[in-house]
Amino acid sequence: MGAFDTLAIAGSSMGVHQTWLDVLASNIANVNTVTPTTQSAFQAQMLIVRSAPGGGVEVAGMAASDPEGRLVSDPGNPMADADGYVRAPDMDMSAQMTQLVMAQRGFQASVQVTKQAQETYTAALQIGRA
Amino acid sequence: MSVNGIEAIGFTPYVAPSLNGAEAVRGSSKVGSSFGDLVTDGIDRLDAVQDRADKLAVQAATGDLDNIHDYTIAAGEASITTQLTVAVRNRALEAFTEIMRMPIG
Repeated sequence: MGAFDTLAIAGSSMGVHQTWLDVLASNIANVNTVTPTTQSAFQAQMLIVRSAPGGGVEVAGMAASDPEGRLVSDPGNPMADADGYVRAPDMDMSAQMTQLVMAQRGFQASVQVTKQAQETYTAALQIGRA
Repeated sequence: MSVNGIEAIGFTPYVAPSLNGAEAVRGSSKVGSSFGDLVTDGIDRLDAVQDRADKLAVQAATGDLDNIHDYTIAAGEASITTQLTVAVRNRALEAFTEIMRMPIG
């Protein structure tokens, strides 16, 4: 535990939220990606997070959504099979957008923590100053 | 339902450094604990922190920086460490001037 732990801990949180935002960006980018029924659907990525041993948070791993996806009837699609079906990713746009807001707010909260920490350290430097 | 008492999770609770009377006057006899060494250590640490911030600044300029906050945090840390080192230096200088002003005889 050093003098600037608050900054390091808040930094780890920003790193995780940044990764979460990247993952969500990739998921939302592929929300309309369909594949032929012979192939597996786009798998939405989900972040697994745990608290870091020395304080802070870290990414523990990634999970992927069901490769089965959802079968959607789209006969006009060139990739549709004989029955007119294509495979869409097994994810929900509104859920992804909700998580996007959560990730953004989490990041902003960590930024606020670093601001407060810097103010605190600066206040400590003022002790005894005329 | 059981309610657990509040305890520290992974954090070392803050313990104020204490000196008993005799030690405080004599100062610690350990090597490397004089005020001069303290200042030198502080300057070394400042150098390391600023070096890291500089490296990240170069990464930001060349586009190799993965996370923006890595640089901003390092820059903030460097700034505060500089202020701290300067504050210590100013105090030392003040003390020296104060002693120099002492009338002799």
